[in-house]
Order: sequence, then C-alpha cells, then structure tokens
Amino acid sequence: MAGVVAGAAAADPSSFKRKPGLMAWLVLLPLLVWLVLFVVVPTVMLVGVSFSERDALGRVVWNFNTENYLRALDWDTLKALPQLLPQNLSEGTDAILKQDGVSGDPSLTQRLRGIGAGIATTFNAFVWFRILLISIWYALLTTIICMVIGYPVAYFIGRSSERMRIILMTLVMIPFWTSFLIRTYAWITILSKDGLVNSFLVAAQIIPEPMTILYTPFASVLGLVYNYLPFMILPIYTSVERLDNAMVEAAYDLGAGPVRAFSQVIIPLTRPGIVAGILLVFVPSIAMFAITNLMGGGNPPTIGEVIYKQFTSGRNQPFGAALGTLLLVTFIISLWLTRKQREE
Amino acid sequence: MKTNTRHLMFTALAAAALAGCGKPPAPTSAEPSASPAAQAPAGDAEKKLSLFCWSEYVPQSVIDQFTKETGIKVSVENYASNEEMLAKLLAGGGSYDLIQPSEYVIEGLIKENLLTPIDHAAIPNIKNLAPDFVNMSFDPGNKFTIPYMAGTVGIVVNTALVTDEIKGYRDVFQDKYKKNIVVLDDAREIVSWGLDSIDIPVNDVSDANLAKVKPVLAKWLPLVKVYDSDSPKTALLNGDVAIGVVWGGEGAKLLEADKKFQWVAPAEGSHLFVDSLAVPKTAKHVKNAELFMNFILRPDISAKISEEFPYLNPNLAARELLTEAQRTNPASFPTAAELANMQTFKDIGGQASKVDELVTSMKAQ
Repeated sequence: MAGVVAGAAAADPSSFKRKPGLMAWLVLLPLLVWLVLFVVVPTVMLVGVSFSERDALGRVVWNFNTENYLRALDWDTLKALPQLLPQNLSEGTDAILKQDGVSGDPSLTQRLRGIGAGIATTFNAFVWFRILLISIWYALLTTIICMVIGYPVAYFIGRSSERMRIILMTLVMIPFWTSFLIRTYAWITILSKDGLVNSFLVAAQIIPEPMTILYTPFASVLGLVYNYLPFMILPIYTSVERLDNAMVEAAYDLGAGPVRAFSQVIIPLTRPGIVAGILLVFVPSIAMFAITNLMGGGNPPTIGEVIYKQFTSGRNQPFGAALGTLLLVTFIISLWLTRKQREE
Repeated sequence: MKTNTRHLMFTALAAAALAGCGKPPAPTSAEPSASPAAQAPAGDAEKKLSLFCWSEYVPQSVIDQFTKETGIKVSVENYASNEEMLAKLLAGGGSYDLIQPSEYVIEGLIKENLLTPIDHAAIPNIKNLAPDFVNMSFDPGNKFTIPYMAGTVGIVVNTALVTDEIKGYRDVFQDKYKKNIVVLDDAREIVSWGLDSIDIPVNDVSDANLAKVKPVLAKWLPLVKVYDSDSPKTALLNGDVAIGVVWGGEGAKLLEADKKFQWVAPAEGSHLFVDSLAVPKTAKHVKNAELFMNFILRPDISAKISEEFPYLNPNLAARELLTEAQRTNPASFPTAAELANMQTFKDIGGQASKVDELVTSMKAQ
C-alpha cells in the first residue's frame, strides 16, 4: 500500500509546476490502468457488496441495506449498553461476593473487582469489535518487536562497508526465496512438543519435559515477527544508508552524548524509513490469518480469519465485505495519521 | 518529498513480496497421458473433463489411470470447504464438469435447480454401492448424485497421555484437558456436538436452540487449544494435544500410524457426512463426467481411493478388496449401532451465519 502511495506521489508532476503533456500520460497509462483494475474496481466492488444481502446459498442479492455494518459494529450491544453495563456491574459484584463467600456490604477491593468483572463481561458482548482489537493488539506487538530488533540491525548494515552491506542485505532477503507457507510449516516442526527446540532442551536436560510453545499467542507473534521483520529492516536501512555522517559528527562536536546524538539527530534523519517500516509491518499484520491459524492454532480468531470465513464457510460475502471495508477505513486512518511523518 | 529512488525501489519490492503472502489456492493440472486406450467408451467428442474436488480426496493415481484408459484429459481444481466450492461455482468463474459437494449442499443445489440429472444407463457400476448409501434423503433415487466417500466425526485419544476412559464429547471437554484439545475449525460441526450433548437434533438450529447450546460452548471452547479442519492429525501426531475431535479419515490415519491412538465414536452421537459426485448445470462434458462416475465406482478403483484416504467407503464390492486391518479400522467403518446414532446435515440456509457468529464469539472469549 505504501508502495502505491509513494509511487503515485513520485509520479506527481506538481513539483515541476506545469501540466503533464500527452507523452507523460502515455507513460503513466499502464500504471493508471493497473490502479483502476486492481485497486479502484475491487474497492468499489467491496464497498458495494458490503451494502447488499445474500441468499441461502450465499449469492449476493443487490438489496441496499446497512444491516452488515450494524452487525459488524455490534450495534445491538451498543444500543443496549445503558442497561447492559449497570446490570453487568452489579452482577459482577454479586459474583465476587459469592466467590468470596461473604454476604452483606462489599469492601472497596471487592467493589473494584466487581467493576472489573462487569466491564470484562460487557466487553465480551462485543463480538466483532473485540476481534478487531485483538488483531490490532497482535499487530502492534509485532510492530514494536520488529522495530526493537530491526532498527539496530538496519543501522548496523547501513553503516557497514559496501561489500558487507551487499552480503548482509542478501542474508536478510534469502528467506523470501522460499515459499511463505513452507517457512511457516517449518516453524511448526521446530516448535512442536516433539520438535527441534523441545527435543534439544530436554536432551540437554535444561528442562525436564517439553514446553508448550506452538499454538500459543507467543507462537503467533513469533511467526508474525519472523515474517515481517525484513519489511522493517529494508526501509530503515535505506534511510540509514543515506544518513550524512557529517551530521552525526557535528552533533558530537557540539557536545551531544551518544544518547542525545541518537535521539535528536539520527532518529529524526531516519524517520521516513521508520514510518515506512511501521506501516509495512503494522498494516499487513492486522489482516494476516495464515500464520495465526497455523502457528497460533486459530485461537483466538483474528479479523483476517473472520473475514476469510465470511467469504467461505460463513456464506456471507456482504458481511465479510463490511468487515473488510471497516478494516480498510482503519488502514486509511493509520495512513492519514502518519502523513506528516511521511511527507517530511 | 525526499524519497530517493532506492527507497522507492525497496518499498515497491516489499509491497510486491507482501502481495504474495496470502494463502494461495492450489490448482493442479493432471498429467495428460500420451497413450489413450485402444477401446474408446462412449464419451463426449471433446476428450476433456474438468474436476472440481476437495483437496486430499481424489488420488492422482486414480486420475492418471482414468486418462490412460479413456484418453480424457482431466484438469483438477481443489477446494477446502463446501462453501468455497459453492462460491466459485455460483460466481460462474470456471466451467466445471464434476463437483464433489456434501449432503447438505446437494440439497441446496437441487432446490435451486443447479445440477444436471445423471443417466443411470451410463453408470452400471452404481450396483456396487451399499444399500445404506443409495436413495438417501438429500437425493431420492440418486437422480443427480453418486456417493463418493462418506465419513464421520469422532474422538481420537492419545492413550499415552490420557488414561481415563473417554466416551463422548462431555468426557473430552473437561477442565483437566484444558489446552490439550484439537477440534475441527468448523462452526456447524462444533454446534452439532453441542446440540448432540443436550439431545437436540443437529439440524434444528433455531434461535432458541442456539441460545440453549451457547452455555455449553461457552464452557467447552475455552478448553480448546487448536482449531484445524485441514489437518487436525498434525497436532495429535506432534504430541501438542492429547485429544481431538476430528474427521474419521484423519482418525483412521492416526490409528494406522501409532497404536497409542484410540478412536471413540461419541456416545452423544455424531455427524455422518456423504460426499458425492454431481454434474453442475453449466457442465460442458456431461458424458465424460458420467464415465468418471462409473470409473470411480469400479471396485478396484474405489479400493485404491480408500487405501489413500481411509474414509467410510460406500462401495460394497470395493470393501471386499480392502485388507482386514483397513476394513476393521473403527475410524473408517463405524458399527451399525454407531451409524444408527449419527445424523446427516441438512441445508440450514441463512441460519448458517448465526451458527458462525455464535462459534466465533465463543472462540474469542
């Protein structure tokens, strides 16, 4: 997505302060056709279908309605919230009292625990919104870990000698020469209870019995980080590579310590790469479902998986389209929020 | 804007790599055979057949042999769920000559007049089918379909890890097996187990009954570790879980792989599915499709399919060709008493999305 945005911006002739001639349009034509066919038309179709209905066999029926969005936003729960929340809060407190075996007035801690339980129950009533939040949380975690690992790696590569840089960048890219699914299946054989990691740790007597690694949220995030790390390294690397060393030296000459030089000179100068990296990792991680399914055991479900299911076993394309459109809106908002950083 | 070309190039590269990250469909093309048989049975003028079937269900060797004997080139496309097949069929994207729907989908397809009636005179091998599997409720008189394989859903227990006796779903979903269970990632299946456990017919998915099954699933699903419909045996084989509720064919393979696995037909009852071959209205090679139907009903061919995919074979003549071990595999061939305790799925129309929503919300708690 970022590629498309950057490409369109680079082709933007406004910086030359004149209108593009016929030749320019001809050169642009393939790109424009591509954009219309594979970006504009599918998006319009998605939004169109999201306002339709489906019949018993799952075929789309063009009967305009907003039912899909109301369902996707858990409208019924939202509407009932004024009654639901107080009810859940009092029930939560009752449950805590029952659990503690106390009758009469609850203490302050019991009251607080009751409120916590009530809020959790209420939150649980939001089916789709909660799944979206879980997915965003996974994506956020993935992005942060990729950043923490990826930035030092990209910085190191960018500051290496020309020869080393080529070798190291090749090493970063090598995993992409293998199919993504094969790499994910490889992780299954590495992480399972009878897998490489557990067999080694048990044989070396580091742990008494195999640990549970596969089919946990940890495995999901590990898979996501593994797959998206290069997308963090690549853009940061390009920023670091053209970082002017004179600037860093100037910072030191003017009395900045390593921390200050890093935070006030290096980070701002590599910011375009950082922002590009965040977008390239965050956006696809939200909707990724193959990894969370294979390595996380599909537990808990993620928004990508839920949308995929609507188009297949759920037999509900319009609802899937509505969820997809909401996800698209989320992406547009995240692009809009980072527009300043990307333009600098 | 300070974007330099290198930056752009990498971003574009990354975007291109990302685009390749989805789960790719796996269409495979059958090897066309160069040596058509001398005798040519009556088929269509054009020696082609487009088969749209489940993945891991029709052995390549069977397709190759069909091509060798008839000279008909078979192009194969796979799907992983009935709904995926339906979506592609109804979208009219490809022209398929043969599809392989399950019982409840057949019901819907017949209702919507989307299948071509088959000519029984062209399929004499239909006589090989067991009486239980002809004239079934979803297609009386087999006007449109020929049963391919049937199967059940049941429980596989790793007796090295579980010593208690497991009789049914209620024994599986106990707190002590928390995060030690794999189940099929299939909302309709999961709801049917819940309904079985409270003695409600599995096709009775009214709103009231879904409300009744909700507390059952609210208790059960947090105990599940893995949801997997494609290959639930993997988690069991790797020792990541101790119990699974899986397809009979997957269970049969586990039983073949290791003696420690035990098959249990759920005491509460379970689902009997019948996957059949059918010809869509839009088919271009109906005669070739009928030739293929007749071919897979041949005892030797049907036995070959059973060997590779050990589901419940509806072909009596083929069962005789199976080994003793294959015939007595309890996951492939349930007893008459167990069969009597099973139900087939009926088309539930729009309720499917409510079933899906119920399971999704219970999974995400």
